[in-house]
Amino acid sequence: MADVVNVGVNLEAFSHAINGIQALRSSVSRVFDFLKDGMKNRENLEGREKLFLTEFQDNLQAVNRDLNELERLSGLVGRPSESHPLHNSGLLSLDPVQDKTPLYSQLLQAYKWSNKLQYHAGLASSLLNQQSLKRSANQMGASAKRRPKVQPSTLVLPPQYVDDVISRIGRMFPDMTIELFRPNGNSAVLLVTLGKVLKAIVVMRSLFIDRTVVRGFSENIYNEDGKLDIWTKSQYQVFQKVTDHATTALLHYQLPQMPDVVVRSFMTWLRSYIKLFQSPCQRCGHFLQDGLPPTWRDFRTLEAFHDTCRM
Amino acid sequence: MGVTCVCQVPVAEGKSVQQTVDLLHKKLDQLGAVKQGSFCVDCETYHATANVGGQQSKLLYVMHNTETPLSCFALFEGGPCLKADTNFDILMVKLKSHFQNAKGYKVECRGSRYRYCDFLIKVGTVTMSSSARGISVEVEYCPCVVPGDCWNLMKEFMQSFLSSNVPELPSVFATKPEGLFAPADAIDTMTQYLEVFNKLRKLQIPGSNVR
Repeated sequence: MADVVNVGVNLEAFSHAINGIQALRSSVSRVFDFLKDGMKNRENLEGREKLFLTEFQDNLQAVNRDLNELERLSGLVGRPSESHPLHNSGLLSLDPVQDKTPLYSQLLQAYKWSNKLQYHAGLASSLLNQQSLKRSANQMGASAKRRPKVQPSTLVLPPQYVDDVISRIGRMFPDMTIELFRPNGNSAVLLVTLGKVLKAIVVMRSLFIDRTVVRGFSENIYNEDGKLDIWTKSQYQVFQKVTDHATTALLHYQLPQMPDVVVRSFMTWLRSYIKLFQSPCQRCGHFLQDGLPPTWRDFRTLEAFHDTCRM
Repeated sequence: MGVTCVCQVPVAEGKSVQQTVDLLHKKLDQLGAVKQGSFCVDCETYHATANVGGQQSKLLYVMHNTETPLSCFALFEGGPCLKADTNFDILMVKLKSHFQNAKGYKVECRGSRYRYCDFLIKVGTVTMSSSARGISVEVEYCPCVVPGDCWNLMKEFMQSFLSSNVPELPSVFATKPEGLFAPADAIDTMTQYLEVFNKLRKLQIPGSNVR
């Protein structure tokens, strides 16, 4: 509202100033007209010169007066471009056909939004900077030059080391068997069998988990040609949901400096599915919701929740 | 093949078999289950004609299930069971001198098959000599293979449409080590159907039943 009032005051000053400019122009042109016409014929030369000078002086004084008036008025008008947050675009508000072209109000909205966005983005970036677990090795601030050097050091680990880490993890969980395959070159594929509940295929790149598919205990894990089937998703909705959550877990457990810790945390989390069909939801206390058991496992507490019951 | 539970549902008071079945269908529809065709389980009874070693003759049940259309099941009363190709029926004709078909003992169970999430539900009408005797409900939870694991979950599901008629854990599972459901051979399911059939056979036909 304040903007509108300001604009009203300015408009009045503007019209005065425009009048002032017109007055100045006419007085200046009068000066030149007078000069152009030259000295009028008078009887004596002395009187002629005197008259000419006084008239010329009057004209110049008129110019001076008009100029002073204009300066005063310009002070009143002020500088709209500076007083307005939108600078020159603020002049759009002067458009009298507001209803037909609501450019100005839209502009204000957009401005508010972009302000808010900037503020929130700032908050988010400061929060994200505190989070040390990051998936990508390319951390904020780390220069692009460093990246190619960092990646190979964690991605190229000797297969023997990977085997060791996996077998150590396998020994940690007696109810979980982990078989390691290398169907294509160096990258390992793990077949994790959890009790009699599920089978998970975990595709690794060095010690990074690249992808995971969870299927039922009774489901096929091999193709017709006897190779591990790492693509087909489970035919059961429960395990499709669990696959989704496992993918979320992959993104959650990230620690580029210590990939073995990540694999261990992921396996610990996956192991909590041993009671997939046995534990009721910790929030609603029921087993089923929309025909599905509690498929979500909390990343910290490993408690069971329905997908919609978790926080 | 998941964990399957077959139970008999009593006919609602003052209703016919068909009306009770319709009521169950309505409840399943409300739950959001999708109808997926129909199913049929049948059972023929054979007497062993020759007594071996003075033992009392056992009954042999030969059963078919549309869920496994190429198989035929033969179950000895309280004894061993086998699963064979459907040619087994012809073999039984050849074995006429040893096993006699007890005519009039044929039991059939026909009905609709529903799917709800990972559950498979079959509501069937059990008929014996062309009279409706009762209702069977089969619930299968496909993703799980250990009955003991998912029993509470299945019970909760059955409560949602059977209310108070939820059965106890079927006895076929109680005797198994670890309770592992015999995968893919479906014998457990057939044993349960047989139990339901035998239970219904012993029931007297209520006068009010209309087929």
